[in-house]
Amino acid sequence: MSTSEKLTWKRGDANRVLGKNIKRVDGPAKATGTALYGHDMRPANLVFARFVPCPVPSAEVTVDLQAALAVPGVVDAVRVSGDKTLFLGEPVAAVAAETPEAAREGAAALLAALKLVELPACVDSAQALKPDAPNVSRRGNATRERTKTDGDPEAAIEATLADGGALVEARYTVPVQHHACLETHGMTVEYSGGETAIIHGSIQGTFSLLDGPPEALGLKDADVEGNVQHMGGGFGSKFGVGVEGRVACELAKRLGRPVHLFMDRETEFHAAGNRSGNEVTVRAAATKDGRITALISDSNKLGGLSGGSYPGLPYVYEVAAVKGTTRSVHTNTDGNRAMRAPGHPQASFGMEALVDELAYATGTDLIEMRKLNLPEGEWGDVWRQQLERAAKEIGWFEHELRSAPGSAALSLDREEAIGIGFGVSVWGGGGYKSNEVQISLDRKGSLVAAVGTQDLGTGSRTLVAAVVAEEFGLEVDDVAARIGSTKLGRGNMSGGSTTTASLAPALKDAAVKMKAALIDVAAAALGEKPEALSFFAGGSVATSDGSKSLSWTELAGQLSAAGLTANGTWREELQASGAHGAQAAKVSVDLVTGRVRVLEMVACHDAGLILNALAAKSQVQGAMVQALSYALFEERLIDADLGLRLNPNFETYKLAGSLQIPTMKVFFDDDPRGVIGIGEPPAIPGAAAIANAVHNACGVRVRDLPLTPDKVLMGLEELRNA
Amino acid sequence: MTGKRDTKDPGSLSRRDFLRGGALVGIGAATAQHARAAANANRQATATSGSAAGSPVLRGRTRIELEINGTKRAVQVEPRTSLLEALRVHITPPLTGTKLVCDGGNCGACTVLIDGEPAAACMTLALDAAGHKLRTIEGEGTPADMSPLQASFCEHDGMMCGFCTSGFIMSLTAALEANPAANEDELRAACSGNLCRCGTYPQVFEAALAVAQPKRGER
Repeated sequence: MSTSEKLTWKRGDANRVLGKNIKRVDGPAKATGTALYGHDMRPANLVFARFVPCPVPSAEVTVDLQAALAVPGVVDAVRVSGDKTLFLGEPVAAVAAETPEAAREGAAALLAALKLVELPACVDSAQALKPDAPNVSRRGNATRERTKTDGDPEAAIEATLADGGALVEARYTVPVQHHACLETHGMTVEYSGGETAIIHGSIQGTFSLLDGPPEALGLKDADVEGNVQHMGGGFGSKFGVGVEGRVACELAKRLGRPVHLFMDRETEFHAAGNRSGNEVTVRAAATKDGRITALISDSNKLGGLSGGSYPGLPYVYEVAAVKGTTRSVHTNTDGNRAMRAPGHPQASFGMEALVDELAYATGTDLIEMRKLNLPEGEWGDVWRQQLERAAKEIGWFEHELRSAPGSAALSLDREEAIGIGFGVSVWGGGGYKSNEVQISLDRKGSLVAAVGTQDLGTGSRTLVAAVVAEEFGLEVDDVAARIGSTKLGRGNMSGGSTTTASLAPALKDAAVKMKAALIDVAAAALGEKPEALSFFAGGSVATSDGSKSLSWTELAGQLSAAGLTANGTWREELQASGAHGAQAAKVSVDLVTGRVRVLEMVACHDAGLILNALAAKSQVQGAMVQALSYALFEERLIDADLGLRLNPNFETYKLAGSLQIPTMKVFFDDDPRGVIGIGEPPAIPGAAAIANAVHNACGVRVRDLPLTPDKVLMGLEELRNA
Repeated sequence: MTGKRDTKDPGSLSRRDFLRGGALVGIGAATAQHARAAANANRQATATSGSAAGSPVLRGRTRIELEINGTKRAVQVEPRTSLLEALRVHITPPLTGTKLVCDGGNCGACTVLIDGEPAAACMTLALDAAGHKLRTIEGEGTPADMSPLQASFCEHDGMMCGFCTSGFIMSLTAALEANPAANEDELRAACSGNLCRCGTYPQVFEAALAVAQPKRGER
């Protein structure tokens, strides 16, 4: 078998393992608490460290390290920030102690002894955009302004209105959302002053652990191992070792002792990144039959010290005449980071709201409106089919409110209104050359597949075993998957939904190469030509008539004492990119309390070839839960006048919990393409769909997330008074 | 819902914060101005009393015995040591299956069973846990010999990153022991104090329902 031939995936029932519901290989370790995360590492002589966050948005800070060092058990304290802090909650110092209790007391003592000269600061866009606002960045508070123009939208609006069309003018805003990883950012640096170290990090790229720490420890790259066996969530916030990695290594170097530095929950809320907020003002027109002809938008990306993420409008839909301006508005708050489809949920929220508002203004069916305004051609048709399916599954065609929102709110004898909403998504996905896979087989038949990639909970460890098992006709448990170490072959960072499409082709490439080598071994042993032999279930090799065969164990027994290894690299032909999706949400709005309950969500996506149906469904459902949480609950709250963070904990920063989870249905297109990846796309349209469903139910258009009961009640009151 | 019992003593919450010597910033219904003043006052109060002589922080380690998963384990703790810190840090070898996530009783990741009742280990003082029967995730099964609920979590993919999993399993174990015929609403209520950021809830419900024994005539 020549491995220079193009490889292809088997499809459907031709697979024994792939595409089925494959149980997570590390499920038992996670379910029994034996899976070790970076937070759980306890090397001997360990020191526990803790950050001290700056309590104000910006200040000249005098740090009295002695205040912490005076606390019994505290062994070291270091400055972290410069003399001037730049954002609310910026770590100003770190305290290391023999116990977490002493570290906490030391950090409290140091915080209490901070001398702060508060500096003028901005914590929201209104403050930052005032003419006399203090400068957040050297380039001013509004940067990177860009305008894209296509056609003449003003003229198009005029023409559309003259022809009986409708105009919508609105402002849509979304708050800053936190990743809220359950395992906070941090690492355990296993270093005792010698020539080697192991960095146990909670990070989205194993090999990023070698980016900084060896230098900080004064060690050679080759003498430092990065280790990420398990990690408690990343969602885009855990690229690079961060300030926590830098400081943990600094302390370890100073002390010659292992250091455990994980952010406490409050610091995590202040300084571990976020999904940028956004505010967009739009004017858009549609013809009387629902064609959107013009869209003028002006948006502020609210990424704190960073630039924010926002792809601009229109999002997915096609509009002939467009003018779109985006700019970054800076505040003295933590910079945004990538978060599950950066920018897309923000854009989706405004765009889908606009589509519905224009549909209602023109009396157009919400599904027909979308079908009409999605792009022409193949991919537009994919979205149209997905929408159709989502509509059918959510009960749209039996729903009464298809081209006008419910007016139930106006009659005070109704207590509940039911509505349906939709949204669509687009994402890239796909893979790239990055993973170096090695498979090795010993004479006893033990097969190990190894690559340094990491498993964020997406199931990549399971994938490593499954792709290899499939190729040999083995069960998943017959292959030992080794991942999460820089001592293994390189893997890519998990970002942009690229892990599976980068990893799986390299795994298959390695397996195909080993198969070819094993067929040669079997041919020699059986006195057959290699072409006459193939693999069968259980890993046996046999002639097509079964007259000659070797079991897996017999086959392995033919190997030399060195066994056999095969290396795999990425095969472009096994992957693809371009992910499309449509989601629907059905909600119940309590007309007395304003509370929104999501009853059902439906997701229809294409994701190329699905390698693990169970993990893929979990990913999509999880993304929908996050979108629901974004729609209804999540919001960073800072008192603008005082610069005081109001909700840096899970008591007041609300996440969706078990009582808020709707019925969920997930459908994947029968997609003939290769592997793409499904982490991000399903996180995009859910919030927009929920907000649209609320409008559909009761006529209240909440243009500002989260959709809290007060906003719904105010909207109802306005409707009743109108 | 099944209430999470923080400790046996309803007053122990404030006592814990006092003993821990940590800064507690109470916002609640206070105005932000008030909150800011309170935060500053608290910061300063800690400065004057937190670590100076005459500190109200009770110090010193003491040896206690904790009965964990049927075995008595000796551990050195301070008065301020939470049960979670005792488990994860001070016991040798440490029991790190119980996770530290919020350290404030808001997320359920550190749920353990105290005399069969779910409790947040981060909100329970180790000293208060002495004399009680404690159960942690490590006692529920091993990878080779999982409890039916643990096995069901694996079967239904009731976990992604897995950081919340121990807490969910402990909450649901208690609920299913109290009512083996629990229905979905009851199971949802039982884990309503547990947060999962990966959004694994639907699979968690499936996993728990699969091991619930329906009453005759139901389902």
